[in-house]
Amino acid sequence: MSTPALELTGLKKSFGKAEIIRGIDLSIGKSERHAIIGPNGAGKSTLFNLITARFPATEGTVKLHGEDLAGLQPFQINRKGLSRSFQITNIFPKMTVFENVRCALLWAQGYKYSFWNLVNKSRRLNEGADAILDQINLLPRRDLPAGMLSYAEQRALEIGITIAGGADVIMLDEPTAGMSHSETDYITDLILKVTEGKTLIMVEHDMGVVFGLADRISVLVYGEIIATNTPELVRADPKVQEAYLGAALEEEH
Amino acid sequence: MTDQITTDPSKPAQRMRAGSMSLTVGPWIVAAVALMLMPYIFTSNSALTIMNQMWITVVFALAYNMLLGQGGMLSFGHAVYAGVGGFACMHIMNNSDLFASFPLPVLPIFGGLFGMGLAMIVGAFSTRSAGTVFAMISLGVGELIAACSVIIVAFFGGEEGVSGDRTYAMPFFGNEFLQQIDVYYLTSFWVLLSAILMYLWSRTPVGRMANAVRDNPERAEFLGYSARWVRFYSFVASGFFAGVAGGLFAINYEILTEENLNTASSGVILLVTFLGGVGFFFGPIIGAIVFTLVQTVLSLQTELWAFYAGSLFLATVMFFPGGLAGLMMMHVPVFRLGKMKMLLLPYAKTLIPAAIGILGLCCLVEMTFHYRHAATGDHEMTLFWTTFDSHTLMPWIIAAAITAVGLGIAKMTAPALKEAWDEANTAGGTS
Amino acid sequence: MELILVNIIDGLVTGLLLFMLSAGLTLIFSMMGVLNFAHASFYMLGAYFAYQISIALGFWMGLLIAPLIVGVLGAGVERYGLRRVHQYGHVPELIFTFGLALLIEELVQFIWGKNQMPYNVPEVLNFTAFSIAGNSIPAFKIFMIFISIGIFIGLLYILTKTRVGMIIQAALSYPRTVEALGHNVPLIFMGVFGVGTALAGVAGVIAGPVLGTFPGMAFVLGSIVFVTIVIGGLGSLWGALVASLLIGWMTTFAKSYNIRMSDILNGIGISTPENLDDNIFRDFWTVTSPQIADILPYILMVLILIFRPAGLFGKRES
Repeated sequence: MSTPALELTGLKKSFGKAEIIRGIDLSIGKSERHAIIGPNGAGKSTLFNLITARFPATEGTVKLHGEDLAGLQPFQINRKGLSRSFQITNIFPKMTVFENVRCALLWAQGYKYSFWNLVNKSRRLNEGADAILDQINLLPRRDLPAGMLSYAEQRALEIGITIAGGADVIMLDEPTAGMSHSETDYITDLILKVTEGKTLIMVEHDMGVVFGLADRISVLVYGEIIATNTPELVRADPKVQEAYLGAALEEEH
Repeated sequence: MTDQITTDPSKPAQRMRAGSMSLTVGPWIVAAVALMLMPYIFTSNSALTIMNQMWITVVFALAYNMLLGQGGMLSFGHAVYAGVGGFACMHIMNNSDLFASFPLPVLPIFGGLFGMGLAMIVGAFSTRSAGTVFAMISLGVGELIAACSVIIVAFFGGEEGVSGDRTYAMPFFGNEFLQQIDVYYLTSFWVLLSAILMYLWSRTPVGRMANAVRDNPERAEFLGYSARWVRFYSFVASGFFAGVAGGLFAINYEILTEENLNTASSGVILLVTFLGGVGFFFGPIIGAIVFTLVQTVLSLQTELWAFYAGSLFLATVMFFPGGLAGLMMMHVPVFRLGKMKMLLLPYAKTLIPAAIGILGLCCLVEMTFHYRHAATGDHEMTLFWTTFDSHTLMPWIIAAAITAVGLGIAKMTAPALKEAWDEANTAGGTS
Repeated sequence: MELILVNIIDGLVTGLLLFMLSAGLTLIFSMMGVLNFAHASFYMLGAYFAYQISIALGFWMGLLIAPLIVGVLGAGVERYGLRRVHQYGHVPELIFTFGLALLIEELVQFIWGKNQMPYNVPEVLNFTAFSIAGNSIPAFKIFMIFISIGIFIGLLYILTKTRVGMIIQAALSYPRTVEALGHNVPLIFMGVFGVGTALAGVAGVIAGPVLGTFPGMAFVLGSIVFVTIVIGGLGSLWGALVASLLIGWMTTFAKSYNIRMSDILNGIGISTPENLDDNIFRDFWTVTSPQIADILPYILMVLILIFRPAGLFGKRES
């Protein structure tokens, strides 16, 4: 077996005295679609932020394609081929939709901090951005400021920005949060389409989306993974049932 | 006279089509022709002086806006980069062997390089964060360097500054830049070149990312760019063009003093840029032109011009954060809808009384000032070609009445203007 | 030895004065995220108002009334100016307060002119409190120290022991929650802004007679105050205190001991170059500590920022 795309070993995170992530070991293979589910407050978003170095981990290691990410900054991790979206839409609202995607392409296409290239002159760049827009069905909205898009469109743009750089490990944080049924179906199809052949790690609440997309599912409860398995087996796992039911009961009180 | 130059660069800034392969050259040609023709329209020496000052301010304000408008970094000490560039140019002027080895038009490049060098040193630690921290560092560093001017006399010349003579350069096609008009064309060449370069900069990958980092540094980091380095490059580029402005200043005035470095100068460039509008590339150009004119005209008329400038600035921040450029661009949709006509009358009904009211207010301010500060026994003052005694009641009543009536009418007609504005911004409808 | 004691007292006066400004500034900053550039302008207004009042009613009424007026003005600025600009973001807020600082300076010149005002130490306090080895310590300085310390203790008490203080502290970190609990957060903001500016006003009232009441006084002290809170760490009250005292003592000592750069360099084994007049570093060699006393805070700031970017007591940026 080849090295996993992403490997977490003994990952821990404390905020003050509160231990939010209590030692996570997880290995996600290449081209796998992996979903992380769990009740509210289980630490799913924190886990994402640890992997992408938005927060520093208290303990443990994160390895991308076998390479330790310790001490790297978010932009360095991104350059190694890991890209993420955010739970709260995180785009460039004042720029046009097209420019949003184009900015996401710049580093991947090797432009770095150059000031001797003109962005309008690069056919590869502009056609690449248009191709992404086509993929996420936002071509008709191309010249609008991103902040003026509808919520679902902004989420789609967020995914577009995330995949634009051609990263092979894509992390999506609740891509369908706050969406209607039809919008959710639309985003699910979109995710399937754009992550073809890539490693996908997603946090998601909507079980329909999770069971439709994921090859494997991890269940995160109170900072620990209690089960990692295929959708069918996770569904049947008594521990998972208990955790979800327990959490649901607690919430009622 | 301002129209040709100010409005045209807006077109590429606003209407840039990603697919199109050519930079729109039209506006730049118009600007170049306008720059060339200006001395034939305004022939007096003082007009040339004012125009030179204007163009230098344009370069400086555009450089400043690379930081503030495009990079989201507020600097309270940007004058030092222009100043150090200028001082460096003065020293080159005074080094006769070196200075005689190249023609004068090359000199601003050295100003730019020195400004850039200083920006690289300061930027190394100041660009770690944007916002308040950056602003405070810029203020501190600005103060530090300004204070050094009386200590490091060898470079800054102490109290009296450093002066030189631009005519010792190698003749440029036989021209020794003895006359104001020669300097005018040199300055014009540099303002056009700098503006084009700065415009192109905003179209480069690092220029685009400067906007991205300004709007959302975190997202930019997750796209592979270090927000800090993006800021650093903007800062250095801005330092370069500020230094060019400093070099042009050195050529024009042949003297630099502490005044070119201090926080007051840094404040003025912030004022100019913000007044013009930070949201558009051409904003600082308008700001520089309007401010220089207002300064020249008002400072001849009243001692209180800084007070008026300050009030105008504060009003801009509070009510028109887009500045003059923002106000102009607000009208583009209306113009596209072909409804500009609908606004003319409501504008006239509100703005003319408002202007009269504000002038009345200014009269009251001037009279108060005269009343308090004129030499004892000097009761006579002249306002708007009318001479009167500021210690009698009548002028006060008249000025107060004009103010009240003017502002009153403006207030009454304001709702109608707003209605007309909404109407004009709606597509279709009655027209 | 005696000279050291005198300098300690002088530095303490300067440091506490700085702290009165930087405390209000820090309080406002940590609450609203706004660095009030016009803060020192309110300090200047305090001095001018106190001068005007002292002509009619004497120094003590000035000390009482002037800060109140300044505080009300400050609250008005927050309510009608800053709150409006707030929607545009932090950078326009900073630009707004910068414009305000410019305007207040112009306004002061407009009303009182460009010259220094004859605002003097009141007769009651115009005597020598005690003297140390021939250096007399004026009673007014002692008075300044007591006023500053008194205000600091009062502030600490209000913030930590009273209900209002608790609400303010909570509103600092969780404005939404405090609002949801039924407290009027905008009113608290306005109040804090008013109190912060009033503190600056007090500083102006007691500093005016010593440092001079003139239109440039805001600027002279203002930029040092900003440097102070950057050194202390933005938003940290303790940092502001430590940095204020540090700067107060540093500048005082640098001014009173004439240390030459050439002595220091010779001391560490670097010999003075010959033909110093032609050397491009000649200014560096002849620099003395009183010359650079006023820029020491800036140098300290640059050093702190390089080696400890969050300031002495600042929280690390997350």
